[in-house]
Amino acid sequence: MLEFQKVTRRFGANTAVDSIDISVPTGQMVGIIGASGAGKSTLLRMINRLIDTSDGCILYEGVNVSVLKGQLLRNWQRDCAMIFQQFNLVPRLDVITNVMLGRLNHRSTVASLLNMFSDEERAMAIAALERLGIERAAMQRAGTLSGGQQQRVAIARALMQQPKVILADEPIASLDPRNAQIVMQSLADINKRDGITVITNLHTLDTARAYCERIIGMQAGKVVFDGGPNDLTEAAARRIYGAEGLEDAFSEAVTSTSFAASRPAKSAAFVAAGLEPATAERPAMKKAAKA
Amino acid sequence: MTSTDIHSPLAYTGGDGRYDIDRHYCDLRRQRRLYTFIGVGAILVALFFSLWFANETNAGKFFDRLPHFFDFVGDLMPRDGWEVWRALFDLSSPYYDGSFKYDYPDGRVYITVSLFVPEYFYKMIETLNIALLSTAIGFTFGFLLCFLAATNITTSRWLRFFVRRFMEFLRAFPEIVIAGFFLAIFSLGPVPAIIAVAIHTIGALGKMFFEVVENADMRPDEGLRAVGANWFERVWFGIVPQVMPNFLSYGLLRLEINVRASTIIGAVGAGGIGEVLRLSISRGHEAKTLAIIVLLFSTIVCVDQLSAWLRKKIVGNQAFEFGA
Repeated sequence: MLEFQKVTRRFGANTAVDSIDISVPTGQMVGIIGASGAGKSTLLRMINRLIDTSDGCILYEGVNVSVLKGQLLRNWQRDCAMIFQQFNLVPRLDVITNVMLGRLNHRSTVASLLNMFSDEERAMAIAALERLGIERAAMQRAGTLSGGQQQRVAIARALMQQPKVILADEPIASLDPRNAQIVMQSLADINKRDGITVITNLHTLDTARAYCERIIGMQAGKVVFDGGPNDLTEAAARRIYGAEGLEDAFSEAVTSTSFAASRPAKSAAFVAAGLEPATAERPAMKKAAKA
Repeated sequence: MTSTDIHSPLAYTGGDGRYDIDRHYCDLRRQRRLYTFIGVGAILVALFFSLWFANETNAGKFFDRLPHFFDFVGDLMPRDGWEVWRALFDLSSPYYDGSFKYDYPDGRVYITVSLFVPEYFYKMIETLNIALLSTAIGFTFGFLLCFLAATNITTSRWLRFFVRRFMEFLRAFPEIVIAGFFLAIFSLGPVPAIIAVAIHTIGALGKMFFEVVENADMRPDEGLRAVGANWFERVWFGIVPQVMPNFLSYGLLRLEINVRASTIIGAVGAGGIGEVLRLSISRGHEAKTLAIIVLLFSTIVCVDQLSAWLRKKIVGNQAFEFGA
């Protein structure tokens, strides 16, 4: 159980995350949606303490993780793996070393600095890569891989941490539809088979609906929606993204990265607007300015 | 302002029909030209007076002394061209008259009964050894210190301040000054030279290194932080692989500089090729002087070429690879 109690984060005069109270039971797959700047990323980073909370606290199994320090903090970060939009691998190291770096907190620093990884750890790394279907890239340098492959390496590294929670910060935002699907399926599979809680920021509604059993909508640092995929109607989505009353400003299909939703709907939306994709948002902006 | 007059030229023109932006541009250009003119004029005036002052404070007047420019070259002419090579390879000279000037075989370093290393090659190796050792020591300590001086790695402002001032102190004095100090303590020989060049190298490389570290991409570091890695692990796996090619490149550049530095230090008594060069110039041994200059020049060219080649090998195209 992951509990948020009045969690707040301020950057100067700005309040990025404003007094959030939610709780996530173990084993849930949660999607967080919201416009850019709504505080999704900040919220996620506060969980594993890449950012500290200004107020309130986050409890995991009753332990206040917002005040951990030193080794206890690093142990919590190990238990709470994170996947990033830009993968955050070490580009100059080979894939298998990158994956084995997920074990750093489980072992002695001196052995790590001497690059001494045990046979079991190598076997674990290969198994993790195999599970993600990229074992053949094991000896390549991570920087030479495609985005989709790098993200799968990052997930393999997260698995090596043997975490209790996996946080994913826009894991598919820089991937093509095919790779986005693979990455989301891997996360869903990890959630189902290993029972690991997965909390992921997403910016496409259909992905959130397809993979998450619970969706949290954020706007200006506050939770404005919390429900199952079926509760996320178009009206609810308009509320989350602050697009109420703008008929053509909001087309779900335009942002979609899945195969099924995007192709026919996208062209229909453009035909309706009578515009090329690159200029499609201009009439919307004009209306927004008037409103 | 409504959307219609954004595109109307009327909104931007003054009474004379010119665009406001155009008038503003011309004003700025005029101002910039004026400043450039004043700036260049000031530099020319300053240059004239400093040259005049230098000439006044010089012992002899510049133009009076100019005809003597080639006297030194005349002093360097050996009896015949082969003398230079005899001096370089320690072969006996036909002009040998018992004086030290033509006694080239003196100073041979025998390895076996008949095989020897010519004196100047041996001295050159001594100088190269000083350069190599001091670069290695400087690289090691510069590497250890630079992470403590980098803003993105060390959060403690006081530690950073202390380490940076310490490195500034190390590189504040030229090698020759430090060498003079250590020569007084350790007496003549290469050890004070090694210490002196190494100290300067720690400060110089440390500064280069921490600037490279501060330019490093912090995303791998963030990824490792999320893994639960400690400070040493984050530096070693997140930062070092990125910065190592640049570190080696700077290290090789420093090696080139240190070869020259240890030559100069030799001239103040720290041994090596610099010492014999100073001695042979002051004694007027023209063939020996030329031999040393030839050797020095070709060695420096070789070191420069070698380090350029190595740097290209190490940094190569990888450094320019996208996302690396």
